Amino acid sequence: MLSKTLAQTVTKFRPSMLTAALSTGRVDIFNPTPEHAELRKMVRSFVEKEVDPQALEYNREEKFNINLFRKLGDLGLLGIVVDPKYGGAGMDATAAVLVTEELASGDPGLTCSYATHSMLLINNILRNGNEEQKMRLLPAACTGEKIGGICMSEPSVGTDVLGMRSMATPSADGSYFTLNGTKMWISNGTLDGKDTGDLFLLYAKTNPAAKYGGLTSFVVEKGMPGFTLGQKINDKCGMRSSPTAELVFENVKIPKANVIGEVGGAVFCMMRNLQIERLGIAAMNLGIARRSIEIMTRYAQERKAFGKPIAEFGQIQKMIAESYAEYMAGRSYVYQVAYNLDLDAYGKGLDGDGTKLFMAATSKRIADRAIQCLGGYGYVGEYQVERLWRDSKVTEIFGGTNEAHHKNMAKELAKLGRIE
Amino acid sequence: MKVLVPIKRVIDYAVKVRVLPDKSGVDLNNVKMSLNPFCEIAIEEAVRLKEKKIATELVAVSIGPKAAQDSIRTALAMGVDKGIHIETNLRTDQELQPLAVAKLLKEVAKREDAKLVVLGKQSIDSDNGQVGQMLASLLDWPQVTFASKVTFADDKQSLTVDRETDKGSEVVQVTVPAVVTADLRLNEPRYASLPNIMKAKKKPIETLAADSLIDAKDLQPRNTVLKVEEPAARKAGEIVDSVDSLINSLKNKAKVI
Repeated sequence: MLSKTLAQTVTKFRPSMLTAALSTGRVDIFNPTPEHAELRKMVRSFVEKEVDPQALEYNREEKFNINLFRKLGDLGLLGIVVDPKYGGAGMDATAAVLVTEELASGDPGLTCSYATHSMLLINNILRNGNEEQKMRLLPAACTGEKIGGICMSEPSVGTDVLGMRSMATPSADGSYFTLNGTKMWISNGTLDGKDTGDLFLLYAKTNPAAKYGGLTSFVVEKGMPGFTLGQKINDKCGMRSSPTAELVFENVKIPKANVIGEVGGAVFCMMRNLQIERLGIAAMNLGIARRSIEIMTRYAQERKAFGKPIAEFGQIQKMIAESYAEYMAGRSYVYQVAYNLDLDAYGKGLDGDGTKLFMAATSKRIADRAIQCLGGYGYVGEYQVERLWRDSKVTEIFGGTNEAHHKNMAKELAKLGRIE
Repeated sequence: MKVLVPIKRVIDYAVKVRVLPDKSGVDLNNVKMSLNPFCEIAIEEAVRLKEKKIATELVAVSIGPKAAQDSIRTALAMGVDKGIHIETNLRTDQELQPLAVAKLLKEVAKREDAKLVVLGKQSIDSDNGQVGQMLASLLDWPQVTFASKVTFADDKQSLTVDRETDKGSEVVQVTVPAVVTADLRLNEPRYASLPNIMKAKKKPIETLAADSLIDAKDLQPRNTVLKVEEPAARKAGEIVDSVDSLINSLKNKAKVI
């Protein structure tokens, strides 16, 4: 069994990173150790051979490539930050960011499903679940046998999380909760368009009178009576290869053993996961940006106008140069935060928000320049950039809207007073 | 049975290669390097032999500067057990030549008591395609080159190999110990999974100086590269408007009929 084999082999990841830093004094934050470099090489090769060729079709048909997703499981990428004893690879935030960046350069939609599953669902259970829950839930999630995400937003509630209406009423003896409500915009909420996804971390109130409504984190599983697929959300602008759904919960009985953390303690669980979630989205944007830059740079050398390659025109040079500088600035920001992120700690939200806020807008802008550079060809699916542009837009909305980041960051900065 | 897999770090196949201004060789500065594709296929075949319990231990060996260890690490991540790095500062695309490589590998094969050597048919930088053949000769072992399929007998003492030649495919049977060189269609190399990349961290890589294995003068190139040039640019084709015109061009311009 996968978890047994891995348990024999891997020790905690940190020491090797420290050695690399100590021996030369310099660290390449993008690939801090040879293992990170090897991982990036492997994922890049996988993207070139297996992800790139299917991206346009799955985007066009708005369907989820479940076989390819499961291959990510075979490669050990789904459980990338998970302790080997639960079936994961035990790597750090940098590894998670690196894999996300590489996958997103090929298919941001597939990457959205990957990040949802690996960072939003798996990492949250890992940080907040108890031993029994981790042993029970993580191995199958790490192999990709079970695929899922989280249920937070509702049809009428997004940023205003505490305004949610889903209610999980405790039974008289407290041994189970009865859940009623509807969740919306759930990535991996369905996999085939016909039935629900396998496994979700769901947020619901347990006691309207209590602080935060007694917001609690529950594990909900496919097949629980009353848990159904409301509808697959179709005709999305971007991230079309990532399935999104509305999920319905009607008197779903959830056993106490499926409560993650404390009853009423969901806000704490959420806080612990936010950094890596936002870094993950920022990493997706890095992939989008990089691919856009590569495509426009190559096109500019090949396309001729007025007797010379358009790469010799100043406006094209400006597009390419500014895009690269912005990408590297964002990349450095993201990887610097990842390098210093202790996944176990209750981190400061400021830079998680900051990296995502910056990269969402930046990747959209870079993809837009790429379309402009490619002209008519940029407007057509085969040339990738219009898809990257469409995929980038939602990153200003999900995982925290731009406006939510503005609010959080301004508040944090006011508290800090000064910047070191 | 111990299997030795010699591998080489070469310029990545996708790189647009440039010649140095003094024409002494190809520009290797800041150029992306990768594991030679045929070597990757050889590693994959060796790993499959281990999975089938025909091979008991896999050893990868690579000759070159310190960076050659990158290729060894990839081999370890794919499932090879240990690596040997033979260090030299000679340019591996033109100064370190096939006979020297074969002599070095002969020493390693004997030292490791290998019963099978599986290597790529050629490297994509020098494209000599000679090492496997020379190595077999030095070791006085049978060789099968351009393998597209390898099947071991139940007693693991002999193997049947399909080999690709210009005239078609032929089937050859040899006994171990033997040298096999891998061709393109032998297999599809696996991706090193993340758990295996992590496992590779603990696998040993031993470094040896090239001149500790063979005489320093045997390492020196026997052929001197005088000049390296880019191939002549392809001329644009010509569109003709009639068959007569075509025949005339083929006869008088291209001079092929």
